[in-house]
Amino acid sequence: MPQDTPSPIDLPEAELDEAGLGWTFGVIAIASLFLLCANAVSLRDWIDDQPPGPTQQRAAEWADDWLDMTEAMGIGLPRKAIHDQWKRAEEARFPEHGEKEEGAEAAER
Amino acid sequence: MLFPTLSFGLFFLVVFTVVWAASGSNEWRKILLLVASWFFYGAWDWRFVALLIGSALLNWGSAELIWYNREASAGRRRAIMIAGVAGNLLILGFFKYYGFFVEQLGDVLRVAGYARDLPLMQVVLPVGISFFTFQGMSYLADVHAERLAPAKLLDVTLLMSFFPHLVAGPIVRGSDLLPQFEDSPRLTRDMASMGLVLIVWGLFKKAVVASELSTGLVDPVFFDPASHSQLDLIAAAYGYAVQIYCDFSAYSDMAIGIAALLGYRFPLNFNQPYRAASLQDFWRRWHISLSSWLRDYLYIGALGGSRKGFTRQRLNLMVTMLLGGLWHGAKWTFVIWGGLHGGVLALERIWDRVRPEGWPRLPKLLAILITFHVVVIGWIFFRAESFDAALAYLKGIGTASVASDVLTPLACALILFGMAIHFTPANLGQRLALQVRTLPAWALGLLVGLTILIVDSMRFEGVAPFIYYQF
Repeated sequence: MPQDTPSPIDLPEAELDEAGLGWTFGVIAIASLFLLCANAVSLRDWIDDQPPGPTQQRAAEWADDWLDMTEAMGIGLPRKAIHDQWKRAEEARFPEHGEKEEGAEAAER
Repeated sequence: MLFPTLSFGLFFLVVFTVVWAASGSNEWRKILLLVASWFFYGAWDWRFVALLIGSALLNWGSAELIWYNREASAGRRRAIMIAGVAGNLLILGFFKYYGFFVEQLGDVLRVAGYARDLPLMQVVLPVGISFFTFQGMSYLADVHAERLAPAKLLDVTLLMSFFPHLVAGPIVRGSDLLPQFEDSPRLTRDMASMGLVLIVWGLFKKAVVASELSTGLVDPVFFDPASHSQLDLIAAAYGYAVQIYCDFSAYSDMAIGIAALLGYRFPLNFNQPYRAASLQDFWRRWHISLSSWLRDYLYIGALGGSRKGFTRQRLNLMVTMLLGGLWHGAKWTFVIWGGLHGGVLALERIWDRVRPEGWPRLPKLLAILITFHVVVIGWIFFRAESFDAALAYLKGIGTASVASDVLTPLACALILFGMAIHFTPANLGQRLALQVRTLPAWALGLLVGLTILIVDSMRFEGVAPFIYYQF
């Protein structure tokens, strides 16, 4: 491969003498299966966004059932917990602002 | 089809499987990659796939003609090269600048008292046109200079259409990619590990940092600067600096990572740009594939660089940066952004020349701070809708007295994070890749899945297009 221009792909140590393709397939397959189970809500949302039709409708029903099943088993809980925490961080305001708003609301009342 | 979406994820899973399954034949592998690239591009607008093919034919044909005439006079070969470059510029000019230039012409005629109804058209801008036309032009220049032999039609078409870099770079030159097309690549654990690190890191920068800053802070403040406080205006300017870095470098990281998983090596495009201690240093770290393109083919290749004296060198710098600004879009704000960079680059050269012997250099930290703030002022022009809006924004930073509530603790934390990552060791990602390459597939698979799950839980609903898609 040409080495004239630097690339982040060139790691600073000697290359591992082990097969890469099967290993990468394994990594991607495991990651995909993990996300299929733990992130069923994203799959359901994506299918809901597809153009409507008989296939989409069948897929949406399957995705709903799948989401219900993963939620019943508690697999979707970590995602929900992180998402809720992130939403709280998004809604947080600096204290002075919150106090000012409370003051304004009190004055309006 | 945006990188950080499930649509792209599924598309990539299919391409990855099919392309590696077909690796027994390099030609079939490339044909499959080409079809996948057209499918990827056609997801925006199928009509422009024809433009992509036409553009590849133009560059392949011109390069063949240059090579065929290699025993002929230099003037003839140069004329063919110029005709090919002009063809690329015509494509770019029509789709990207037609409306802009006709409007300017109309204004000039009106001022001169010759007002006319000029043929204005609504031209749809094909995604990534600036990237693939620049790739085509550099290919022709390299073949003309005999730095590169002309490649087969399939290879040239794939060079220009290859989906990881197609819509927002990096601008991968023929000399980087064409030799890699000669044989079926081999996927090593190193490439795969670094590719996965880059994809997940890019996903985080785009889907979490850039999207959150864009929707929560930058867009509302730039939309109506007059109704925001001084603090909001300052924070949104810093916020945009972090947003555009996290947005654009994320695309580059993901593009490099995706190409690596397919067995190809793309060049580095960003190297912690906000730790630059001068503007010259900034341009060695920001959008490296564009800045090196402009340096090699425009500043040195077409304008002569510093070979024609010091005054000409400064003029060349200014012209290069003005055109670099215009490359980003048909708006005066981009030209002003380029002019500001060109002006400061020229001042740096002058100062280097006239600085009295023995005068101390600026402390590095101060130089970094000054450079960063010059860059931030430039970003205000880059982001603003018009020159007047940019001036109003800058004026607001000095005078605004409105109280507003856009700045949140989360936005502050993301701005600080976006700056802090510039001061970590430059090869942190590579060190991480060295660690993960030794993990068993199941462990790394779970780690990648878990990281994507965390990013997906934090991401803003929906994904905004990458900023550089419009260029």
